[in-house]
Amino acid sequence: MPEVDDAYLVSRAQAGHPDAYEFLVQRHSGMAYRVALRLVGNHHEAQEIAQEALVTAWESLASFHADSSFSTWLYRIVTRRALNKVTRSRSDRSLDLLDDVPSSGDRTAAHVERNLMMDAVTNALATLPFSQRVVIVLHHFEGLSYAEVASVTRSTVPAVRSHLFRARRTLATRLEEWR
Amino acid sequence: MNDPAESRKAANHLLSVGKLACGADVDPLLEQVADGSGGQLNAHQRDCVHCRAAIGEFTALWDPVRELAATPVPAPAELTATVIRRIRRLVHDVGYTLQITDGGAIRIAACIVAVLARDSARLVPGVRVAFGRSSHRTLGAFAGDGPLGQRPAAAAGVLGRTAVVDLAVAVNYGMPVQDVARDIQRQVIAALHHGLGLQNVTVNVTVDDVLDNAAD
Repeated sequence: MPEVDDAYLVSRAQAGHPDAYEFLVQRHSGMAYRVALRLVGNHHEAQEIAQEALVTAWESLASFHADSSFSTWLYRIVTRRALNKVTRSRSDRSLDLLDDVPSSGDRTAAHVERNLMMDAVTNALATLPFSQRVVIVLHHFEGLSYAEVASVTRSTVPAVRSHLFRARRTLATRLEEWR
Repeated sequence: MNDPAESRKAANHLLSVGKLACGADVDPLLEQVADGSGGQLNAHQRDCVHCRAAIGEFTALWDPVRELAATPVPAPAELTATVIRRIRRLVHDVGYTLQITDGGAIRIAACIVAVLARDSARLVPGVRVAFGRSSHRTLGAFAGDGPLGQRPAAAAGVLGRTAVVDLAVAVNYGMPVQDVARDIQRQVIAALHHGLGLQNVTVNVTVDDVLDNAAD
């Protein structure tokens, strides 16, 4: 993959070079899938959301004016699609975030205990209202700053802080029920 | 506090009680831990057993969240390829080269011509990145206004054994741009000739950026 930044690849793609967009797909498909998986908790739905988001971004590239970074823009598309999916399905099934994590084959008690803890967090995350789940995933899992989360969610930093405060408290309470 | 039952009771108590015995609010302590600042105690917390115990409880509670966040989530292997396939279909570059041989007709999609041209250009010393695209208008110029020139296939940049390729190229800073551009033309023409049998190849090179050697 060439050592050029996203802005350059976006400008080339907008100029009619689809292969420049292919580099962006290679660079960001992992993020799109990861965020979708953490938001909807289902491998197949996450794959579908990531695919649709990346194709939608290509189709909408002309309207992207670089007022945010490409990754912020893609985060926004992924979270919107995830919201649509969650709203449609209203599923209560547990998340399966660890389904695709390669297993080391280690079946020691410590490993089993660790997996149980990860499952507990995963399930606790799934019970959060979507707006709280988004801020937890973007801030704590993706490492976005408050300002970046605000940009993705088209919100404000105080609103993000408020959502995050409630989300952390809810998550901590739910985690307690699993301990 | 190593007993899980004791830990549960303690944290449940913390979350519901609102204030510690020392008068400190509980919620800011959870915020402090979740923000990764659980180890940075203020003057009061350093001297307060209640605050230190509460921070310890919340740290035990939040550690699995941190661990899950750090767990890699590999994307499905086919995801990138599937998206790229769909985008190529959307681009709808339907042109083909056409060569008639004794054994029949050989058609090669214009997108393959563009990919080979791009990949050849990337091998030229001094080229940082190159992108190919079919040349609609340029092809029309030499295809004339005849039936082929008006068909969608003519807009793909290939016609018979002829191809027109536009390349947008960024070169490394300090390289002689014109020499690099000529090398690209030579290398791409040779690659399309030897690789695809194309005999009349026009390579338009646009050097539209000069990039520093450091990764941008």
